[in-house]
Amino acid sequence: MTSYVLFTLTIGGIYALLALSLNLVWGMAGMVNLGLAGFFAVGAYASAIATGSGAPVVLGWLIAIACGVVAGLVITFATLRLRDDYLAIVTLGFGEVVRLVALNERWLTNGADGISGIPGPLKQSLGQTGFPIFYLILVSAIVCLVWLVLRRLDLSPYGRTLKAIREDQELTRFAGKPVLRFKYEAFALAAAIAALAGALYGHFQSYVSPDHFQSLITIYIFLAVTAGGVGRPLGAVAGAYAVVIFLEATRFFADVLPGLQPVQLAAVREMLVGAALLVVLLWKPTGLLSERIAPATPRTGSP
Amino acid sequence: MFSSLLQAIVSGLMTGSLIALPAIGFTTIFAVLRYPSFAIAAYMTIGGFAAIYANQHFGMGVIPLLLLAAVVSGLVGLLAEQTALAPLRPAGALTAAIGSIALNVVLENIVRFSFGNDLQGFDLPIHPDMRFGPIRVGTQQLQNLAIAVVVMGGIFAFLRFSRFGRAMRAVADNDDLARLKGIDPKIISGVAVAVGAALAGVGGVLLGMDTSIDPLTGYRVLLSVFAAAVLGGLGSIPGAVVGALAIGVAEEVSLLAVPATYRGAIAFFAILAMLTFRPRGLLGERST
Amino acid sequence: MNQQTIRLNRRDILQLGALASAGVLVATPAWAQGAPVRLGALLPLTGSGGPYGGPMAKVAKGVVDEVNAAGGILGRKVELFIEDDQTSAEAAVRAARKLIDVDKVAAVMGTWASAVTTAVAPLCWESKTFQTTTSGADSITLLPHQGYLIRTQPNTTLQGQKFGGFAVENDAKKVFFISPQTPFVKTQLEGITAAVKKAGGSVGSLVYDDKRPSYRSEVDEILRFEPDAIIFGGYTPDTTVMLKDLFRAGYKGKKIAFAYAVNQKLIESVQPEIVEGTFTISPSPAEGSNAYARVAKLAGMSNPDPYTVQMYDQINLVILALAAGGGDMNGTTIKANVRTISQGPDRIKVDNAVEGLKQLAAKKKIDYDGASGPCDFTDIGDIIDSKFRYEQVKAGKLALLKIG
Repeated sequence: MTSYVLFTLTIGGIYALLALSLNLVWGMAGMVNLGLAGFFAVGAYASAIATGSGAPVVLGWLIAIACGVVAGLVITFATLRLRDDYLAIVTLGFGEVVRLVALNERWLTNGADGISGIPGPLKQSLGQTGFPIFYLILVSAIVCLVWLVLRRLDLSPYGRTLKAIREDQELTRFAGKPVLRFKYEAFALAAAIAALAGALYGHFQSYVSPDHFQSLITIYIFLAVTAGGVGRPLGAVAGAYAVVIFLEATRFFADVLPGLQPVQLAAVREMLVGAALLVVLLWKPTGLLSERIAPATPRTGSP
Repeated sequence: MFSSLLQAIVSGLMTGSLIALPAIGFTTIFAVLRYPSFAIAAYMTIGGFAAIYANQHFGMGVIPLLLLAAVVSGLVGLLAEQTALAPLRPAGALTAAIGSIALNVVLENIVRFSFGNDLQGFDLPIHPDMRFGPIRVGTQQLQNLAIAVVVMGGIFAFLRFSRFGRAMRAVADNDDLARLKGIDPKIISGVAVAVGAALAGVGGVLLGMDTSIDPLTGYRVLLSVFAAAVLGGLGSIPGAVVGALAIGVAEEVSLLAVPATYRGAIAFFAILAMLTFRPRGLLGERST
Repeated sequence: MNQQTIRLNRRDILQLGALASAGVLVATPAWAQGAPVRLGALLPLTGSGGPYGGPMAKVAKGVVDEVNAAGGILGRKVELFIEDDQTSAEAAVRAARKLIDVDKVAAVMGTWASAVTTAVAPLCWESKTFQTTTSGADSITLLPHQGYLIRTQPNTTLQGQKFGGFAVENDAKKVFFISPQTPFVKTQLEGITAAVKKAGGSVGSLVYDDKRPSYRSEVDEILRFEPDAIIFGGYTPDTTVMLKDLFRAGYKGKKIAFAYAVNQKLIESVQPEIVEGTFTISPSPAEGSNAYARVAKLAGMSNPDPYTVQMYDQINLVILALAAGGGDMNGTTIKANVRTISQGPDRIKVDNAVEGLKQLAAKKKIDYDGASGPCDFTDIGDIIDSKFRYEQVKAGKLALLKIG
């Protein structure tokens, strides 16, 4: 049972990083990223390929982050002139294209076989009992770090500007803020975080494949951010852990519902995820933890 | 070479016709309710299953099946909208869109719970293609195309010329003003969703006749339907049909140059190109 | 806020306790010594593999019920835990963790998608849990699983060769292989090409996207090759569309499919002219075996597809290996005994767990020959050899042509 708990919490941490990424672009800056799974994949594959060619693990992770940044910039550049609604479909397309490339370009990604044997850092020396504990601590530490950074961002003038962009882009531009630069930066940072999550996942599981990065994950992360509190980094983290725990808890429902076929039980389980998201949205559309917008510094002198 | 290209274009029109009706449904909901409803996938699947059930148990023919699917999907869409999604609309299009994704998961699994994962097919005849010289044209798909065009014409005329249709457009443009004029937005949105879902249901049956019906029938084409609506201009009914056909043609023609494995990506590149040079889509209205 | 405390007095507690124990006594049948034997199945119950998971689960449960009715394994009840892998490697790993760490299963059986199997494998061998799979990718048995993995699916090169050979037998000179992007496209194609080229024929191939509702241009490309036989390597949803589009295009040549591509459910769901005359090939035991009929009965259909059939074999192998080993009912016991009960000279052949358990109880040596083949495994867990079952769709039903 302990391994299961350790494992679930580690996955929760990885989901938390993805949720922080989504919260940054969508919750704070109002840009919809439906291709989250794509950035997750880019990071996982980048690190897997790099370490497969002999790079040390930490370098692999840095490469993953760099690839994430590049991907984020490419997307933002490509959608410069588009209405924000359309960013949704472009990111969706991005996710799909990443999956197709991973699936079909065998020379690069090993195609449908996926990449096995991704080295886990310190796995040899820590052995089977030590490695999961180490990794949980590592992932949790990274989650804390990223959360702290984003929290500061959230409460800073930078964060306030992002939220202003989310609420009314034109007005923010009118107020003299370089909207485009903010969007680029936010998206690139978010992509970097998602890519890091991917790299951490790959080295944890030692195997990645195109199959891993389905849109199912994007739906779960949207649930996490929505449930936890849109715009609030702590909400994203809490939401992510809650989602993973919820996903695992639904497995045990099978014992409660007798007389159903396995396919029906599986359907009930998936239904519960959708229903949970609906319930949260209907009850508290902005999530459980409410957003905090730091007040602007007060001016001296009268307006 | 030329005949390959011509065949690809013709095939593209055939392929596009499969998603034309769901695309109209999707864009109708967007036009009036102002959010992209991803539950359209489930409405397609539900329409398909309703028709399968009727076909297998009562031996109904094509036209009655289409009508049945329209009614069942329309009702499901209406019910789902009023209970689950209408309360979310005031929170913004994005929240409603996410709610529709959640709703889609719930509905898809209700179908899976009731019918299992097995592929189902209609007990209806299938016809080989007609040939015009070197070009082959599918009879089923021509039928789909014809139905899509007729429906498009009907809805378009309804929205433009009928009083109710004009009321729908009024609500879409300005909800409060419409209320001032005595139009009840709730009834209008109800009709919009019912019509949109009904169209998706019919589209699901036609799609199922060409492929098969299982819980994932609608989900598999969801991206294409969304892409078609966006390409044609969200909110434009004729745009949805044109977008669907355009995507079909783009996919089939691209196969002459690009490996078949990348077919899924073509639609997105087409959209990216379109939206970069003409952000409102092929036939979309200029955004205010 | 109101706070209500429910106070239980001693009498209540005693009554509750009595009720509870009575409930437990009533619910527990008279099982002998020892905790139940726990087995796990990780199946595609939702997602793109959905069409295959249901029948697999049904057969697995059927076998477990039969074994329990006959007294279980060495007097211990068998408990089967079924989890959904959602046809996603990410979800599968979470499900496998639960099966291994919480349910403490001795075996994880039935993993279907190659990515799922590859992702779950390290969890299994590291926890000494036995894994049985139907996945086709060659790389799977090459993983460092230390003997904790067996695969009941013959390797894809062999299958390709059989397919090519069969096409040649049916006078095909131009064979075209179509398949979605799977890990075994290349090896299947190589097998087919070797067999066809040897007989002087030619081979073409196309890899397609398996999520499209229409394949008109792909069909045009296939027909440009003017094949006289097409080999279908996909799964039921995409194969249905391909068959329909080929029919519409007027293709009149031979159609040869993997039995999981054109299975009974597909045949029942399409118009007869779409699929009439299609040949299907699946791994099989030698002629005269009753095992296939047993699976058909458990699955409730006349022609269960290869995955359902393999699930049957996997659960039988695991149960018999545990019974032969005795002692701890865990993965190591299965690993140590799975080959002793399934291959070797001078053994009594059995094709089901109940019979095998009886023989083992009488201290006999057994050789399990299953419904998907002789179930003899190499050191790395691959099938050593297999016969194949050749069927053809005639008037909406699968008719057996030969086993060879």
